Amino acid sequence: MDVTAQETSTRTLSYSEAIREAMALAMEADPTVILMGEDIGVYGGAFQVTLDLVDRFGPDRVMDTPISELGGAGVAVGAALTGLKPIFEFQFSDFATLAMEQIVNQAAKLRYMLGGEASVPVVFRMPAGSGTGAAAQHSQSLEAWFGHVPGLKVIQPSTPEDAKGMLLAALADPDPVLVFEHKLLYKMKGEVPAGYYTTPIGKAAVRRAGSDLTIVAASIMVHRALEAAEQLAGEGVSAEVIDLRSIRPIDHETIVASVRKTGRLLIVYEGVKSYGIGAEISAMVAESDAFDFLDAPILRLGGAEAPIPYNPDLERAAVPQVDTILAAARRLARREV
Amino acid sequence: MSTTDNRPFAIRTYSPAQLKQALKRMYLVRRFEEGAEQSYMRGLIHGTMHLSIGQEASAVASCIELTDADKITSNHRGHGHCIAKGADVARMFAEFFGKETGYCHGRGGSMHIADVQTGNLGANGIVGGGLPIAVGAALSAKRLGRKDVTLCFFGDGANNEGAFHEALNMAAIWTLPVVFICENNKYGMSTSVERSTAVRRISERAAAYSMPGVTVDGNDFSAVAEAVHHAIARARAGEGPSLVENLTYRWRGHSKSDRNRYRTKEEIEAWMARDPIARFQAELIAHGVLDEAEAIAIAEAAVSDVEQGIEFARGSAAPAIGEVTRYVYAEA
Amino acid sequence: MPVEVILPKVDMDMTHGTLATWHVKPGDMVQKGAALFDIETDKAAMEVEAPATGRLQHVLAEPGTKVPVGSVIAWLYAEGETVDTLPPVPAPGDVPAEAAVPDAPALGGTEQAPYAVPPQGMAGHASPMPGGSLLRATPAARHAARTAGLDLSDVAGSGPRGRIQKQDVDDLLARERDVAPPRPVSGWVADSGPLAVTRRPGRDAPLVLIHGFAADSTGWLPLEKALLPGRALIRIDLPGHGRSPKRKIRDFAHLARMVLEAFDEATRGLDGVHLLGHSLGGAVAAAIADIRSSRVLSLTAMAPAGLGPDINGEMLAGIARATRVESLSPWLRQLAGNAELIGDDYAKAAMRGRADPGLRSCQMEMAEVLFPDGVQAFDLRPAFARLSMPASIVWGRRDQVTPFRHALSIEADFALHFLHGIGHIPHFECPERVARIVERQFAAVEAPG
Repeated sequence: MDVTAQETSTRTLSYSEAIREAMALAMEADPTVILMGEDIGVYGGAFQVTLDLVDRFGPDRVMDTPISELGGAGVAVGAALTGLKPIFEFQFSDFATLAMEQIVNQAAKLRYMLGGEASVPVVFRMPAGSGTGAAAQHSQSLEAWFGHVPGLKVIQPSTPEDAKGMLLAALADPDPVLVFEHKLLYKMKGEVPAGYYTTPIGKAAVRRAGSDLTIVAASIMVHRALEAAEQLAGEGVSAEVIDLRSIRPIDHETIVASVRKTGRLLIVYEGVKSYGIGAEISAMVAESDAFDFLDAPILRLGGAEAPIPYNPDLERAAVPQVDTILAAARRLARREV
Repeated sequence: MSTTDNRPFAIRTYSPAQLKQALKRMYLVRRFEEGAEQSYMRGLIHGTMHLSIGQEASAVASCIELTDADKITSNHRGHGHCIAKGADVARMFAEFFGKETGYCHGRGGSMHIADVQTGNLGANGIVGGGLPIAVGAALSAKRLGRKDVTLCFFGDGANNEGAFHEALNMAAIWTLPVVFICENNKYGMSTSVERSTAVRRISERAAAYSMPGVTVDGNDFSAVAEAVHHAIARARAGEGPSLVENLTYRWRGHSKSDRNRYRTKEEIEAWMARDPIARFQAELIAHGVLDEAEAIAIAEAAVSDVEQGIEFARGSAAPAIGEVTRYVYAEA
Repeated sequence: MPVEVILPKVDMDMTHGTLATWHVKPGDMVQKGAALFDIETDKAAMEVEAPATGRLQHVLAEPGTKVPVGSVIAWLYAEGETVDTLPPVPAPGDVPAEAAVPDAPALGGTEQAPYAVPPQGMAGHASPMPGGSLLRATPAARHAARTAGLDLSDVAGSGPRGRIQKQDVDDLLARERDVAPPRPVSGWVADSGPLAVTRRPGRDAPLVLIHGFAADSTGWLPLEKALLPGRALIRIDLPGHGRSPKRKIRDFAHLARMVLEAFDEATRGLDGVHLLGHSLGGAVAAAIADIRSSRVLSLTAMAPAGLGPDINGEMLAGIARATRVESLSPWLRQLAGNAELIGDDYAKAAMRGRADPGLRSCQMEMAEVLFPDGVQAFDLRPAFARLSMPASIVWGRRDQVTPFRHALSIEADFALHFLHGIGHIPHFECPERVARIVERQFAAVEAPG
């Protein structure tokens, strides 16, 4: 991994602590970094990610915005255009639908429309995903929408270490970056290097090497896929698990190289299955040099063609789980599809 | 200056050099747009355009005090704002012609002309798109301890966008150095302000955000300059935003597709009789800032600048086809 | 519909096969691709795989029975499919022209003679490959088959709905490597030279064999078997054919020089060799014999090219460009005097040798150079006339590629053998007759004194 750590020591931190540490490090090092968002000050953010940062950096740098997603996102874009590095937190990524204009028409296009003469180094933090009983309007996984927009970068760190390293990489990036953070990951703990380091955007990570099939998973699905892979190993099936990490830019090379090796591909993501990450990766593989090495149809496991339901069993059934990944991987490995 | 000076505000406030430059810029705006229209008709320009002929005083008077450190955000009818902020018409034409030498290297066209170096953050194709961005720019100035202000130009149509309300509210709660300048030219495309807007004066909406709001004759250079001057002073003093509504009129249609079915010939002619350039020039002559000959020379210089600009644009190279994805992201 | 089990043609010159063993008992299930029965030809025993998954019924051939190739010898019924008391009626065209061996026992609880039922107008019958030529295979399997020059229709798929997966191709290739090395049969060794040359050591002056256009050295097999054992053989693959490099040629002279080079290399140190060429190879052989007259003991030219302008250009082009068995087979049938000699297996085997698209395009270009507009662009008559060694021409009277009358245009003394009822490939159609002609010539040359 391309980690450039000043210190090599690591501690166990939760995903949200890792994000907070990244923000604090950046704010200490660079006075132009500011945080904006709804209730990120004394409240500490809807998911307590900013927590006490307002005490450390004051309300001028940890700014509570009115309930104005469009305006707030636009202010962040304008500020980024003129010398600040704002991290704008959407309370739920679903609310970014209110700010599509500023994200898609402005942030993504300003550099291009202005012929490279402008830069919009803004970071949008997007708490996403289901599993919290928040139902249809607070549980979506809209990352693929933004993956469709040239000019944006879209990342989905799956571990505390990446959450910190990729957020710092996003802050160092001169272009707008959307960080999709799965809400169920916030409490997940993991080893996190101390000090400043960046984890490159656009590079997938092979989390488990294998030879029989490739599972490309994004965000929380990486952990479910790894759990499934562990069980598969007990059944004599060797699954390679790739953590996508970045949707735009996407790491063609790592995926294609893996599929060349295994000949079988399963893509697991939480966003609605159709027109999503899976479609993009499938098509990319079909167009690639890996085509000749495919020995089974490509399978996608994505979210149901429905809004996220409230009932916990329905909610669980609406997105891929360990058992559904396991079942699909078995079918692939056993040539049942 | 004596307290009994009852010359117009602009005459008594700005130097003759500033005033002459302003007149030149008004001529430039008009000749530039006429030149663009001609080029369009000859097929040299392939997109549409939104002309501001008739609104030159609003743009130029609003910007007369600005320095390169100050910012503006503009809208789809933005050529006047660009020139008022000091843009070079040759590079503007080059952009219009889609050339590599244009302000946006041919990637933006009429609707996205910008010059970030001189504080022009760009025209914007989305109605209301520039309002939150202007607030963000003002936030940068305040946070970074700079004294610059941001002028935010938009039309009457934008005042019914949510972004307008969110932006004005945030500018007010954070006391940001931004001046919202609504160029009310009576129609949002074909829909009149009367039919689209609940308040009689758009400036009345300032009250909802606890900021000063004023409506002026947007074709009166001095009236605009005075209103914006006070707003800028308030902004620079750290007292927060203001809303200035300039009542004006576009002589041309909304865009090149406009068949002018929503306004009468009489209305258009009545507004053409209130030509802001002729009014400003007459005022300058009346107050001895310049004479007829100088005025003619300024007008001719504008014509010549425009002709040279078109030549420059025509002679410039087009972007390389292979560079279609250049500038999407920062170059490594 | 149940799927027919036929006795396949596994060897080019095979008309009958003896059923050696059934691996599956009547009434038992068998998986597609699993070994179903063994057959014996005069060359080898061979395992035959089940063409489909199903229950074996109506077994018509007991071990030890000799059965004409292509005959239905049993049926496979899918799980749950009703088993008729009588075997299904073979579809029209599936009954070989030659009648069944009369004493073929009728098993499976029927007293009906297996092939006695006249074919009815049937609306269609179960094809071993549902969907006809639409064959299910993964990209990886297709790639592996393409690389190995394998026809996917020869591969049994183990995936869902019979899909061929890469492992199936790998398995088949491994079996082929283990079981039946197709070309260098025991005793053959390959030379390293400008063209592919294989040699079988033996006694006496070696016979050098040069095949015809769009063929390769494996086509000599029937003749090789018909010759008296023990003679040394040297086979040369023409450029762009068989396993020779795909080299472009400019004209006939260029081609002849390339083969001459290989000939010199292959016969270095030998006192003299006999030369046998077929069709285009016959013309090349004549050219070599003309140039190396002191080292060529005798020449036999079978249906040689170069003796007149006429040639069946359409057929050559058709063969050269065919990419699948279906398009190759009708042309191949015109090669023999009796079209029935050219069965599906012959066509399949031929197509397998032509699976490489690079080879096909090389041959198409060669046809364009040598036979532009269907005309032989070179004239070997002067070369033939100059030959000083014993030489003979062998030609089938039913040759549809090059007319046998061309033989009459040679202005020199020549032994002409016109074979009655034979087409363009006498060495395949009547290898024994050709062998006798060649051997008489050997004897004449090699007779002491």
